[in-house]
Amino acid sequence: MSGGIIDLSKEAPPTEVTTEICIIGSGCGGATAARLLSEAGHEVVILEEGRDLIGPERTQRDAAMYDQLYMDRGGRATSDLSVSVLQGRVLGGGGVINACDVVPSPNAVLQHWAAKYGLEDFAPASFKPFQDAALQDLSAGRIPESLVNKANNKLRQGAEALGLRGEVMMHNRVGCQGLGTCLIGCPIHSKRNPRMVALPAAIEAGTRIFTRSRATQIKKANHELKEVDVRTLDPLGYHEKAPFRIRAKVVIVAANAIASAQLLLRSGIGNGQIGRNLTLQPQLPIIGLFDERIAAFDGVPQSYAITEFEEDDNAEHGLWGYRIEGISGTPGITATLLPYSGAQGMEGMALYDRMASSLILVPDAPSGTVEVARDGRMTIQYTQRANHQERLRHAVEIGAKAYLEAGATEVLVPTAPPLRIRSSSDAKNARQLTFAPATAPLISAHQQGTVRFAASERDGGANLNGEVFGTRDVYVFDSSGYPTSASSHTMTPIIASSRMLTAKLLTRI
Amino acid sequence: MLWEKAEELAIWIVKAANCPYTWQASRENLGTSSLRMSTPPPPESSHDGLFSFLSRRRFLKAGLVAGGAVLGVGGGGLLLLRGRAPEVEGLRVLDAHAYKTLQSLVEIMLPRTAAIPLDPAPMDLPRAFDAFLADEPEHNVADLEKALVLIEFGPLAFDKKLTTFSRLDPEARSAHWNEWAVSDDLLRRQVSIAMRKFFNLVYFDRPEVWPYIGYPGPSMTRTRSVKP
Repeated sequence: MSGGIIDLSKEAPPTEVTTEICIIGSGCGGATAARLLSEAGHEVVILEEGRDLIGPERTQRDAAMYDQLYMDRGGRATSDLSVSVLQGRVLGGGGVINACDVVPSPNAVLQHWAAKYGLEDFAPASFKPFQDAALQDLSAGRIPESLVNKANNKLRQGAEALGLRGEVMMHNRVGCQGLGTCLIGCPIHSKRNPRMVALPAAIEAGTRIFTRSRATQIKKANHELKEVDVRTLDPLGYHEKAPFRIRAKVVIVAANAIASAQLLLRSGIGNGQIGRNLTLQPQLPIIGLFDERIAAFDGVPQSYAITEFEEDDNAEHGLWGYRIEGISGTPGITATLLPYSGAQGMEGMALYDRMASSLILVPDAPSGTVEVARDGRMTIQYTQRANHQERLRHAVEIGAKAYLEAGATEVLVPTAPPLRIRSSSDAKNARQLTFAPATAPLISAHQQGTVRFAASERDGGANLNGEVFGTRDVYVFDSSGYPTSASSHTMTPIIASSRMLTAKLLTRI
Repeated sequence: MLWEKAEELAIWIVKAANCPYTWQASRENLGTSSLRMSTPPPPESSHDGLFSFLSRRRFLKAGLVAGGAVLGVGGGGLLLLRGRAPEVEGLRVLDAHAYKTLQSLVEIMLPRTAAIPLDPAPMDLPRAFDAFLADEPEHNVADLEKALVLIEFGPLAFDKKLTTFSRLDPEARSAHWNEWAVSDDLLRRQVSIAMRKFFNLVYFDRPEVWPYIGYPGPSMTRTRSVKP
């Protein structure tokens, strides 16, 4: 059997495909499973909505790349537009468009899951070999000082002046040139992500990948041979085209916590837990403005984090508190986060090269749902809880003080109306922020939950093997299964848990 | 009496947007009523995008709020307020009135300033919006058409001024639009965010803007312009 990538926007789809295993989604979860299963001799087909956008096709331009690399052309959001939900739609999934942060699940979180949710396979000792393997897959290492840019150094300088704990982060880049466009795809492929590691190995072992193909429904989920209805897409992925069907003994859904739940709900399979318990880990940007040129677009966008206030052993929630991470974006996406229009907005963006920005990352308790209406429309309902807002306010105060210590003339909190902090005493004004819906540019890059792993059908949507309750061999192998935040960054946990779940699957097929 | 007139206004706004919606509400269920599509969306319309926040219910509620400001004015009179819109060739989705509304919006959102002395008009960003919309699911297109009607009649609906958005002078238009971002009304905040996201993304992605913001543009071999 020969593997390969077949772009169904260019080639006629097969009328019907029969395979042993059909995997929906080519990101960290799906690609990892495909590699291990095909290397073990199983016949695997991957379905991916995005296309294989590589090399100079990754133009480093905002409009085209958000359109082509992100779900809903970059416009996915919660129903009230309070949180922008970033999700990859490209061969390789989220690993292609993330900031390369490698943060394994802390042992305390894994212990919390084992003790509180009965996820014994995730207990630190059991899970360690899989996390170690994930770190190897990623060629994980500490970001070298030479790639820590001035913007991130400003955050570090401020943290050190305030005596706050922080760290240069781990990443999965090899041969990075510091082009600064990680969030819209690396044109020189320095990310050791699923597109560069797991998928080539899977193809070598015989995996066939259909790009520009959207799974619309899973049928006969209780039968030995499942049916997956698929639609091909046009070259830019805007419109559905020809239908075809895949028959498979095993179906693995790994399309991200939003899209996996959406597919299961549209298929009418699983129990009443599907779509519930969504966590978004909403992040809030703050911007330090300096008199000197910062040029945050030079170098790695995210390399330093203040971790002083992050807890990984909260008795009720596991991962809790918050962290503040340096970040930079290309001009287009940066401008979308600013709260101004008109002359004020133009004057704000004129200071683009003097900005050093951070994202405040605040783990949340499950408080969202993915819903699918009868007409097929999907909505993400999410309510930001008071304890989330409280930690955000504290973090804004701390982040602002850090930038001011580092020499910022002003710190902008891009809420509507904006909060401008010009002195340490001003920072306490952060306590007045209300975070009413659609007044702050919150971003979610780490969606989790929606098909929670659980020992009992009463407590979740899938069992401890990842098998969706009420089905026969329909699995979820992505962050959908996590009962709470696995980590501040989910790439490593997803690869590790997919490795673990695939190893278990291999003992049964 | 008040609700009846408000209903009329809401229906009128929806009709003006040429949306395939039919009125399904009664006075008893105004708080939760919806405008239901007369034909179901095609199967591919399963993804919510930038404009899906404009749920039918919310739009209706906004229309009803607007009603309070214009109860004494008939629908025909409102239509005349828009005035004429010059024909625009090559649009894929938007009509001339919607295009004119967007031109007026871009003019005040991305004005020529001392810091960035570029005229946005030659960039024809409304056409970029039209091109974007042409490949969106039908329900997003319909939502957006309604949003543009709401923007155009915003001065009337929310400021009790007998004029439309495009007819305001730039200073008044800018002041009116800036209120949307901080409005108590969720819908207006949402429309403000959606427009800002789209036009800021497209505008600041243009190379002619970069020299004014200190961005050297994409590079395959970046050389650091500052020391870390």
